[in-house]
Amino acid sequence: MTDLILYNVSNGLIIGAFYVLMALGLSLILNLSGVINFAHGGFLALGGYFAYTLAPYIGFWGALLVSPLLVALLGLILERTMIHRLYGRDPLYSLLLTFGLAFIFEDVTRAVWGATGLPFTVPDFLTKPLSSQFFFVTGYRLFMIAVVAIAVGGLFLFLRFSRLGVRIRAGTFDLDTVSTLGVNVKMLRSFNFALGIFLAGLAGVLAGGQLSLEPTMGANLLMPSFVAIIVGGVGSLPGTLLGGLLIGVAAGLTAVFWPAASDAVIYVMMAVVLLLRPRGLLGEEGLLT
Amino acid sequence: MAQVDRRTVLKAGAALAGSALATPAILTYGRGESPVKLGMVDPLTGVYAAVALSEVAGAKVAVEDINKKGGILGREVELLVEDSANNVGTGVQKARKLIDRDRVNCVIGDVNSAIALAMAGVTSEKGVLHIVSGGHTDAVTGKDCHWNVFRVCNTTTMDVNGIADTVIEKLGKKWYFLTPDYAYGHSVQDAFIRKLKAAGGEYAGDLVPLGTADYSAHLIKAKAYNPDVLINVMGGGDQVNSLKQFVGFGLNHQMAVSGTLFELESLRAVPPEALIGWWTMEWWWDQPDNPHVKVFVDKMRKATGHTPSARNWFGYTSVWTFALVANHAKSLEGVKLAHALEGFKLPPEVALQPGTPYYRPGDHELMSTMFAGEAHPAKGNPDNMFTVHSLVPGEKAAGPVAETGCTIHWS
Repeated sequence: MTDLILYNVSNGLIIGAFYVLMALGLSLILNLSGVINFAHGGFLALGGYFAYTLAPYIGFWGALLVSPLLVALLGLILERTMIHRLYGRDPLYSLLLTFGLAFIFEDVTRAVWGATGLPFTVPDFLTKPLSSQFFFVTGYRLFMIAVVAIAVGGLFLFLRFSRLGVRIRAGTFDLDTVSTLGVNVKMLRSFNFALGIFLAGLAGVLAGGQLSLEPTMGANLLMPSFVAIIVGGVGSLPGTLLGGLLIGVAAGLTAVFWPAASDAVIYVMMAVVLLLRPRGLLGEEGLLT
Repeated sequence: MAQVDRRTVLKAGAALAGSALATPAILTYGRGESPVKLGMVDPLTGVYAAVALSEVAGAKVAVEDINKKGGILGREVELLVEDSANNVGTGVQKARKLIDRDRVNCVIGDVNSAIALAMAGVTSEKGVLHIVSGGHTDAVTGKDCHWNVFRVCNTTTMDVNGIADTVIEKLGKKWYFLTPDYAYGHSVQDAFIRKLKAAGGEYAGDLVPLGTADYSAHLIKAKAYNPDVLINVMGGGDQVNSLKQFVGFGLNHQMAVSGTLFELESLRAVPPEALIGWWTMEWWWDQPDNPHVKVFVDKMRKATGHTPSARNWFGYTSVWTFALVANHAKSLEGVKLAHALEGFKLPPEVALQPGTPYYRPGDHELMSTMFAGEAHPAKGNPDNMFTVHSLVPGEKAAGPVAETGCTIHWS
């Protein structure tokens, strides 16, 4: 039993790492632009599908980089043409817009690639378990963690030390002042949006290796990511990181004792956090009121 | 600057959860002045979209066929397709709409058994013939059977009985279940357990929420139990994802895998290394000795570009059943059609299988042949991913009517 619990804790961390990637993208966009991006799951699915289509030409590794960039480009175009018009209005407007986009994405994906799932194959050497004891630690899952660690580490360094990153963080606190100081807020938001979408695209390619590609694949992964943000604290990127890992572990542990509830437990967790600490674990009070 | 408050995020989440509603209908118009209308309700969006669309594609080909051959009672046939969005409320609402507003003479659907059952409540009350094309739960032709409800696909018990003996004999008697936590999953698992207990085996298992993306936690438990066979009851995308991860963890070297259905739509979605295990097909396209099957396969390939699946056949047969019985009974009235369908035999060009399937009078279940066998990476033809090892007759798999729990009450 102890083994089983231990396995599931480490396994939960692996799953959580994946949610982190998705939730960080959502969080970036939410924090700076106040947009709750419901189309995030759609961008994720597109990331997987682009990779599927590109892989025969540029290989898995090429697709891993190019596909998220293409998705980010698409995100940029949509931000420039539609989403940016709703900045500063009631957030419900952008929420409805991205909600609609999510449906459009799903149906376009279905029309282009078909409703039937598609197999996405990852390089052979990544698919083997590393040991028979820890069989759930496959090369691919370690690779996923490495990619997440690099992406998250890179993102935090970028936000901490680069001028652009500092501006994004400053904008999260007070966009008006940042604007007054001469920063091109329009560009800043576009870049930030594309960056968030890039993370979604990357998550999509990684998910493709574990799950079959389906038009609805993003929707299943979107809700836990929202939960991760709320548990961790809206407005806090480290909080999102913590939230993602926590819900992964919680779902994994629940599967040991009460498998049917492994889906529901993250929502219970969210409810408890909201009751006891409404700002979320690492959220700052009053930041987003 | 902060424009979004926490409550908005919460409301957003609630909205997302309730988003499975309201999707527009897809209309397929026939020609004539007053066509005979057929309504089909299937989950065109959501996890069952792939199989639902296959059923619709089969139904459309049948409608074309029927119209070419003079229609129903000399009138054109028109198919109205509605999306249940994999939601019980939506499915019922669409069934009501088809009957009340569109005045359909027959309702077909749904892939999701829970929706099919709820729809049956509506169709029986309204007196309209209802053919369940692809919802498998026993109750549809079991304890919740209705006078007007007939089913083309198998019951879960039939699917289990079609494979369970093979599993016990060839693979072993210590099982671990991976079962989706809803009516269909429970009913399959119960049927497997009955067989296993009779054979003196042991089991454990997990009930897994529908739409689970990551199966690692459940597979970790499965490995700890160390079974002979993992009985994978997950359906659609869930089945594909769980098998892909099962193979990814190398568990295929430690235990066999089996289950009831591994549909062609799903076979196509897994990479070659995950094409493993013992399953039943409710219909299979590769029947070299049957010329009618070849005609149907060619027709479907022309219409969809794909080799037909069992789901294509379900849709095709459901529509043809209605046309055949209506022409036979010379009526479109629900009660007359239902009486005429009891014991009704499908002709070979619609049956498309060995034997003569018929709708059993006691429970209205189609007694069709099952194809039990093994999945493998494609050989030659890309859709040749399954080898049939045995044919199981419907009556044998279904067991006597008395055991189904069905009593038909004519209204």
